[in-house]
Amino acid sequence: MKKIIALSLYFGLCCASAAQETGTPPQGMRGTPANLPDISLIGVIDGHTSSNKSDETRNMLQFSEVETAFQGYIYPEMKADVFLALHKHGEEYASEICEAKVSFLSLAGGLSAEVGKVNAEFGKLNKAHSHTRAMADQPAALTKFLGEHALNPQGAVLKYLLPLPFYAQVQAGAWQGNAHAHHVDGDLTADVLDVDQSTVTVVLAPAESEEFSPAGKIYTGRMNMSFPLSDGAELELGTSWLKGKGSHWEHHRDNINIAGADFTLKFWPSTYKRFTLQGEYLRLKRDIPVGELKRDGLYFLANYRQSKYWDFGARFDYAENAFPEITYERDYSLIATRHLTETTTLRAQYKHINLSGEKTDEAWFQLIFGLGPHSHELE
Amino acid sequence: MKKILLTAAALALWACPARAELKIMTASTDLKYICERIGGAEVKVESLASGGQDLHMVEPRPSMVFKLKKADMVVRVGLDLDMWLDSLVNAARNKALFYGQPGYVDASAGVELLERPEGKVDASMGDIHIYGNPHYWLDPANAKVMAKNILAGLKRLAPEKAALFDANYEYFAAETDERLAAWGARAARFKGLKVVTYHGSWPYFARRFGLEVAGHVEPKPGIPPSASHLDGLVKKMTAENVKVILTESYYPRKGPDFLAAKIGAVVVTAPVSAGGAAGVKTYFDVFDRVIAGLEAAAGKK
Repeated sequence: MKKIIALSLYFGLCCASAAQETGTPPQGMRGTPANLPDISLIGVIDGHTSSNKSDETRNMLQFSEVETAFQGYIYPEMKADVFLALHKHGEEYASEICEAKVSFLSLAGGLSAEVGKVNAEFGKLNKAHSHTRAMADQPAALTKFLGEHALNPQGAVLKYLLPLPFYAQVQAGAWQGNAHAHHVDGDLTADVLDVDQSTVTVVLAPAESEEFSPAGKIYTGRMNMSFPLSDGAELELGTSWLKGKGSHWEHHRDNINIAGADFTLKFWPSTYKRFTLQGEYLRLKRDIPVGELKRDGLYFLANYRQSKYWDFGARFDYAENAFPEITYERDYSLIATRHLTETTTLRAQYKHINLSGEKTDEAWFQLIFGLGPHSHELE
Repeated sequence: MKKILLTAAALALWACPARAELKIMTASTDLKYICERIGGAEVKVESLASGGQDLHMVEPRPSMVFKLKKADMVVRVGLDLDMWLDSLVNAARNKALFYGQPGYVDASAGVELLERPEGKVDASMGDIHIYGNPHYWLDPANAKVMAKNILAGLKRLAPEKAALFDANYEYFAAETDERLAAWGARAARFKGLKVVTYHGSWPYFARRFGLEVAGHVEPKPGIPPSASHLDGLVKKMTAENVKVILTESYYPRKGPDFLAAKIGAVVVTAPVSAGGAAGVKTYFDVFDRVIAGLEAAAGKK
């Protein structure tokens, strides 16, 4: 990983120096009119209700997330984006670096790179910040296999646009993901004899009460392609791969592989109308001391933007858990979104959850607002 | 004069060695048309947005990244109207198109801007553009400014074709002046006409052709009309005898139709870019269509 970072920096500096030598043509006006970064704030207020009386956020209206962003160029062809977030975790707010990255927009050989803490581009949705998604929650498959929040490790990724007669990009990343620091309990254990004939307790398998997400040294790969079907239709196909360890690796000694495939089909019948069909399939392989777990998850999203101001969606989730005692979750969601401005939206969402026969109904009322110029790279 | 310019252009073309055409991507169809006029056979131009799209809200697509990756030059409307273009250029990793590079052309450079906000600017004012109203291409006189910026870009990339590009520019500018005079004569018939427009797209057009914009269907830029705003507009239009509503072809007709029904006004649905309506194929066709619509509306008034 160090080599990747060093090479990225070297190529970035070489290319940036070359850019400086080019004359500057007359330019128009854009962006912030001073030598300041774009500074912005995104706030998310969630009202949540659930038929599950043990749900901590049941019947609560709360400020669930604040994201501040500082974005700008730090050198020719080098851009810095820092997103700091305050999330509600249970009863308390926790601050964290949501993303903090330097993007080398044009390296040698047509490569580009991102270095820092990054939402890994695994599948279609993980990269997208929650406030840019067309839903109040995230699909169950992502939560169960990639973590409650986005897979967001530290490291570097190299990207390359393939020289093909259509859009095709490959990327490879090397990362370090934080293991979960909190206490692990409820593992399935056994007492065994050690080499010195003493009795020791070993973990056979993790218990379902724990969170799961990739951690440790993580390697990712992704290839995505896009095909315009007509002036008003485009199909994007992607496949992703991840190798790493589980978030409680110290206890569980679990090595993991996740493979994913995704598609996004969009139609634009008129200026403001858009119909989107999107789906992702993920397969998790988790090696634990007692064997290998194979788990599947997927979602399908249909979204119809009816006008400049309204869109409506429906989503189906299917996800197995990442633990030995398998559970099956099937969720059905209906979503309505009112766009007040580009960054301010009102959303209502209903979700019916069937978790191995245990049924729950949930609903959200969400207000997302934006202050200042806020942008994300093409997602 | 035209013959001399055409001959000069032909000679310049003949004198230049064979060279691959320049690939140009533009943010709008109007810029595409002007690029084609200035670049002639030396350029291959494609617009990222279609003529019927609202340039505030173009959704970036991966196929656009692919096109920008192969382009020699990108021409944008600028003034933060086409901010969607930035993420596309970054994703394409085509150095030639980055801000400040020879292949980057902002067509707005040098345009005399209207409605420049003063003091604090924030979202309470709606979707406001901090440098001024960005719909400058709807004054056809600004076509010469846009063309001059494009000309400079083309000459940076292919200096050996400068004579040809200069000749094409002169021909284009001359045609623009001729058309301006003709449109001005037609517009004299509705000079001083009071109109309500859907969005604030028309101040440049209004200044050029003597319209008086009495209000907007949107209460503030980008904010959909509320019942109370429309009610207030009915009163204002009645009091000021405003009988024409000028609306961009992509905006919903509900608000304008409501107003028209209430006070017996005429709705003129106008394309704002080439390709924005059937039969509106070029940038110049846009003005032919809008002026014809206003002539008809003024006749009915």
